[in-house]
Amino acid sequence: MGPGPAHGILGKVKIEPIERGDRKVYSVAAFNRGVRDWVARLPTVWIEGEITELRRHANWQSVFFTLKDPADGACLGVSMPRGQFDGLRLELADGDRVHAYGRPELYAARGEFRLRALSLERFGLGDHLAALERLKSKLAAEGLFAAERKRALPIWPRMIGLVTGNDAAAKRDVLTGIQTRFPPAHVVVAETYVQGPRAAGAVVDALRRLCELPGLDVVVVARGGGSFEDLLPFSDERLVRAIASSPVPVVSAVGHEQDSPLCDLAADVRASTPTAAARLVVPDLGELHERLDRARYGLDRGARRSLESKLARLTQAHERLRRAPALLVERRRATLEQAAGRLRTLSPRATLNRGYAIVRADDEIVRSGVALESGELIDVEVADGRFGARVE
Amino acid sequence: MSSEQTFESAQRELEQIVQRLESGETALDEAIALWERGEELYRFCLGKLDSAQGKIEQLASRVEAAKP
Repeated sequence: MGPGPAHGILGKVKIEPIERGDRKVYSVAAFNRGVRDWVARLPTVWIEGEITELRRHANWQSVFFTLKDPADGACLGVSMPRGQFDGLRLELADGDRVHAYGRPELYAARGEFRLRALSLERFGLGDHLAALERLKSKLAAEGLFAAERKRALPIWPRMIGLVTGNDAAAKRDVLTGIQTRFPPAHVVVAETYVQGPRAAGAVVDALRRLCELPGLDVVVVARGGGSFEDLLPFSDERLVRAIASSPVPVVSAVGHEQDSPLCDLAADVRASTPTAAARLVVPDLGELHERLDRARYGLDRGARRSLESKLARLTQAHERLRRAPALLVERRRATLEQAAGRLRTLSPRATLNRGYAIVRADDEIVRSGVALESGELIDVEVADGRFGARVE
Repeated sequence: MSSEQTFESAQRELEQIVQRLESGETALDEAIALWERGEELYRFCLGKLDSAQGKIEQLASRVEAAKP
């Protein structure tokens, strides 16, 4: 079909301007054909993109689809001979990535530029994974995922940024989780695309806007589960770098437990689900109250207990103090009694009991008869009493 | 009692006095003096404990009143 470089001015269709006064004017058809011929000289190339808007009809000669650049959404119309397309049995659906081999073409009748595809190959998951692995190794080598880069989350966040899809269950889960646990939390939501070619750039923008807010303490990036391709924007290099260089700590809650988009590795903390992210980012106020109450109770009990033991010790000391002097006097008394007892044994009374008597004259003990005169009164003391006597 | 005396030092002194009195080695006059000193220390300690107790009760009631 299409005219090759051999056509053009020398070909069967003349592309010549018409004279209108002193101006040369091309007809639309002539212009289109001219450009078509020009474009047709461009080489055949491989192009990578995402299939969208696939249109195929049994009575059409060609199938049509649009190839979309997953990074920035640029589009390219593609036509391909239907027989060739069907022969490949690719079972393509919107969003599938392909490599298309073809030549640029201008459809002269409509002035539409597109790719005329000659062949089509599915660009598989394996290739994606390999590309992802390469990016992961590169960023890891830069130290972007290093453990020492991870920052601790604030204990009492005043303001929490949430980057999420506009009606995502993930958004609801994070918000509910935060508000249930910590009602005074202030959450600023930045809604953005979380899927498709614009997602990565949009998330980066949302993150930057949030981080410009004064007083922002932490950001949660939340997206529910999805296919491998759905989550690809969250492994985009720009997005991963933006998360790693965020001025505040970032919690990544993207996909399910088994998914590991690169943003999870760059974030300061990875949450397995949006609800888990809420748990990480705010304390449970109810639980805090309980702990505080327990601590207060313990404090009260501890203070009382220490007081009681001190009082018991003091009371005991006092009890001993109170008894001590009496005890001391008692002991002294006992010693005294003992001495008195011994004194008593040593007294002459025991001798008197054996029948001796003490004789006193003028209260002096009489030890010799020489001094006594006849008729003198003396005092005689025997064991059970005294009596008077006269000296003969 | 000196103003620097703490509960602990007073209690220590009181217990030493009790030990000396209980040993029975003290002269009677000295024992009486020690006893008086011991009683004084006891009153001091008790006063400290009473005021601590008062403070605890006061705090506890304030905490109760502040409960939502």
